[in-house]
Amino acid sequence: MNQYEGMFLLDNQVVRADYKAAKTVVLDVLKKHGGQVVTARRWDERRLAYPIKGRLRATYILTHFEAGPDAITGIRHDAELDERILRYLFLAVEGVPPTEIELSAAEGDDFAPPPPPADDAVDREESVEGGLPTQDGDIPEEDSVGEDGPVNLDDEEDA
Amino acid sequence: MAMKSASKPRAPLVPMGKKRCDDPRIDYKDLTYITKFMTPQAQIQSRRRTSFCAQCQRQLKQAVKRARHVGLLPFVG
Repeated sequence: MNQYEGMFLLDNQVVRADYKAAKTVVLDVLKKHGGQVVTARRWDERRLAYPIKGRLRATYILTHFEAGPDAITGIRHDAELDERILRYLFLAVEGVPPTEIELSAAEGDDFAPPPPPADDAVDREESVEGGLPTQDGDIPEEDSVGEDGPVNLDDEEDA
Repeated sequence: MAMKSASKPRAPLVPMGKKRCDDPRIDYKDLTYITKFMTPQAQIQSRRRTSFCAQCQRQLKQAVKRARHVGLLPFVG
């Protein structure tokens, strides 16, 4: 069994609905392949440096777990297929830092994170198909410029 | 045939003996520390500027690439 550190980026829509269920998504993937979860906690919720799967924000779940060397392949495969997991990073580590154990224990079962802001959906095509108005709250200007581009091109083609 | 002599090596920006090699804080999650060794365009600074030894510079490089992968740092600033 090797020690691993796993960082998962979760879709904020899932986290907003139920944080506990969102955390279970990650834990289930690890346990399915025989991983023994040592710590798992919400590391942060922050704006992404670049859009990932059409999201501008994501919730980071930091885990430490023990798993066999063959299990990582299966865990990667499942994480890749799960749409709620935007991205993941696995690192082989020597041990679990004591601060991480304390922070994970402090989170507890009844931990309720502050609700993430609602400006994480930026994919224009999704919002158009779903008929939902785009959130104009904190969307950066560069995205709105990019969204206007294809619309103008379509108009010119129609004319 | 006399070859043109190479230009003199530039002196390091941080004086010798001031290396930060014993600093264990190079972690992809410690963004405040990592970004000190990056340019405003999110490029990794050279060893001449960071004053890291080769091993620590490689750790810095790996940490930056990991942070970029999980969306903590941009690929292009």
